Amino acid sequence: MAWDVDSPETTGAKRGIMTTIESKPIMEFLEYVMTLGMTVMEGRGFYYPVDTAIGQDARLYVVNRSLDNVTRGVRVTVCDIDSEYYGTFGSFGNKDGQFEWPSGGAINSRGQVYISDEQLHRISVFDYSGTFLFQWGVHGSGEGELDTPSGIAFDNQDNLYVSDTYNHRIQKFTADGRFLLNFGSHGQGNGELNLPWGVTLNGNNDVFVADWGNDRIQKFSPRGEFLASYGTSGIADGEFQRPSSVAVDGEGYMYVADWGNERVQVLDPKGGFVMKTRGEATISNWAANFLSVNAEEGAARTRADLEPDIEYFVDVPHEESAHIEKFFWSPVSVKLDRAGMLFVTESNRHRIQVYKRSAS
Amino acid sequence: MGNRDVELIAHLMRRAGFGVTRDQLDSYAAKGYDATVEELLNPVDEQRMGDDLIRRFHPELSGMLGPNASGENWLYRMATTSTPLREKMALFWHGIFATGYPKVIHGKALSDQIRMFRHYGMGSFRTLLLELSKDPAMIIWLDNQDNHKDAINENFGRELLELFSMGVGNYSEQDIKECARAFTGWTIGNREYMELRSQRDSDWPYGRISWHFEYHTEDHDDGEKEFLGQRGRFNGEDVIDIICQQQATARFISRHMYSFFVANEPPVPEWPDTPPSNEHAIEQLSQAYLDSHYDITAMLRVLFKADYFKSPTSWYTKVKSPVELVAGVLRLTGEIDRPRREMLDRHLQSVYMGQYLNNPPSVEGWHEGTDWLDTGTLVERVNFATQQMGDPQKPGVQAMISKIAAIAECGISPERLVGECLDQMGAISVSEDTLRVLIDFASMGGGARSMDDQARQQIAAVIQMVASTQEFQRS
Repeated sequence: MAWDVDSPETTGAKRGIMTTIESKPIMEFLEYVMTLGMTVMEGRGFYYPVDTAIGQDARLYVVNRSLDNVTRGVRVTVCDIDSEYYGTFGSFGNKDGQFEWPSGGAINSRGQVYISDEQLHRISVFDYSGTFLFQWGVHGSGEGELDTPSGIAFDNQDNLYVSDTYNHRIQKFTADGRFLLNFGSHGQGNGELNLPWGVTLNGNNDVFVADWGNDRIQKFSPRGEFLASYGTSGIADGEFQRPSSVAVDGEGYMYVADWGNERVQVLDPKGGFVMKTRGEATISNWAANFLSVNAEEGAARTRADLEPDIEYFVDVPHEESAHIEKFFWSPVSVKLDRAGMLFVTESNRHRIQVYKRSAS
Repeated sequence: MGNRDVELIAHLMRRAGFGVTRDQLDSYAAKGYDATVEELLNPVDEQRMGDDLIRRFHPELSGMLGPNASGENWLYRMATTSTPLREKMALFWHGIFATGYPKVIHGKALSDQIRMFRHYGMGSFRTLLLELSKDPAMIIWLDNQDNHKDAINENFGRELLELFSMGVGNYSEQDIKECARAFTGWTIGNREYMELRSQRDSDWPYGRISWHFEYHTEDHDDGEKEFLGQRGRFNGEDVIDIICQQQATARFISRHMYSFFVANEPPVPEWPDTPPSNEHAIEQLSQAYLDSHYDITAMLRVLFKADYFKSPTSWYTKVKSPVELVAGVLRLTGEIDRPRREMLDRHLQSVYMGQYLNNPPSVEGWHEGTDWLDTGTLVERVNFATQQMGDPQKPGVQAMISKIAAIAECGISPERLVGECLDQMGAISVSEDTLRVLIDFASMGGGARSMDDQARQQIAAVIQMVASTQEFQRS
């Protein structure tokens, strides 16, 4: 059953949903393009993807957290927006080139792929084809030491900024892992952080941090001086619950994975609310292949109501997303490619929803 | 407050919770036994590790594709909650309304059922049975999606009477049929697609889709029924009303409660031929059930204040279930101070000891008491407890050692060292035989003196030895 939330006839009937998180996507700014990927334990597909790094050749390096101890499940899947599959690299373990809790991905100007690991407290580096090159990381709280590194991003000089989560700070390293500086400490004040997650930079090398535990985005200068804070705790427009990731386009618009509210929001360069969306996934190329091969399941799916009218008594955004498949469920990462396409990686739905700026 | 009073509260917290640290025990002791009971019965302002934190670092504990996530998630609650009775009651109901992964194949549906137990498990038994009858995992587990107006399926109706409320001997085969008729049309949404995915263990294309209850009027048998001597056009709610009124239901729930919290009764199939070990207790609890209009909290209040519960003769008589043992150790070691990859190992250790949460051996749940013990599981239990409690890197163990080391600075006898270890591990009292063995062990190191590494190691060794005792394995 497809229902139109603008319709006065359906608004009352959908009260259980409408009074909680409004599902209406205001699409003047962004428009939905497509969905990529599907749930696959190994090989072509994703299993609890937690980030997507975009190479200069437009290849997507999708970081799969998968399950503990699943050797070939913990991996990086390489594909592109046309659903072309190029293979995987990495596996579960603590040897060179392996991961335990892979988290963030970033690619430098030489096409080398950097992956953080929250369990092994290290950064692993691969060439564009997935061949392991080197790694660094010492568990601790001293300068250059790491405790649960998550989001990572390069500046335009190939220095790597690392969200050093349980040290509640951002650290900056050279591309070969030499410590340069750090900033932030545990707290709620300006410039302080609480379990930071996603990190990104704009063209001026200003650093934007998804200050996850403080429900806000903070902006810092390249040297770590506090510049601005956006958002407060809540479910209203421009408010966040546990934001996990932020991307910034050339005009300064901020795209925020509002993880706890299971939505994506866009803020203007001054932090003003622009739009929000709960997601509108459709069948991806790989999913279509699966459903055509598994015809009985595909047919049953076409007869199912995938947007049921349910009242949720607790944990509302999470539960809505668990029941309604097209909604974002754990939108963990937002990344922009060079063409301005927005890639929203959803952990619990094992896919990527792609959006673009509207022509207007 | 005397030692015996503190030990009584420690007993309460082992049975109504998963044990406590010495600091927590001090806090409860300051309030007194009755106030602690009330705090357990009226849980407010729960403090625990939040879902956001768990979901961030364990995506599988959010999306729940496999069979372990629900149990791991629950173990986080048991290990960190400030309202342990709510989790204990969820465990109690899980043992009675035992629903398992191999047929349901949907971790989140099972986790949602546990959440329902958490939400309704200490309120009205009528409400709980009603929610159970609408629970999607239970519907699939007992095939009520196949219970149709023109072709009834008796599975749910039969178990509702036999295992969930009254017990064999208190109803007829015809009552089962009438009960099943009353629950026709109680199903899940998108039954065909969801059932097919479940049968195929399909998480394609985009992970699990949560299940929800639906009532299909057109598939409900609205005709007249005769159930337990009453006649009417009963629907499921009416049947539950009638079930809840029965003396047999009062006794059935009371006996389960006595078995879980006081002393193990034989398995349910033996109940028709085996009278309760404490008829007075069953009568008292049954009366509380009826007087309170089926209120579970009212029954628990009577139970926790009864002499048969409080008496020292009942202390350390129940073998902890594997999950109780694991959760209790985690609370003592303080290992779960943040999301830890080790949680999967802890969950699996409970599985190896014989208790796989959300995957009970059958619809009857687990057989408790000494049935938990065989040569294999006993080794697992002792190894687990001693390895965890013997690890001085764990924050809770480290804190215990530091406290005892401070006392030992001026010298401490083997007897005192053992006493302090027992106290720090939750005011444990042990038999004379056990005490003698522990003191002999401590004497091998000559007691402890100063806060040097050797003294700390000796304290750690005694703590580890206590973890291997039968008293530590029991509640």
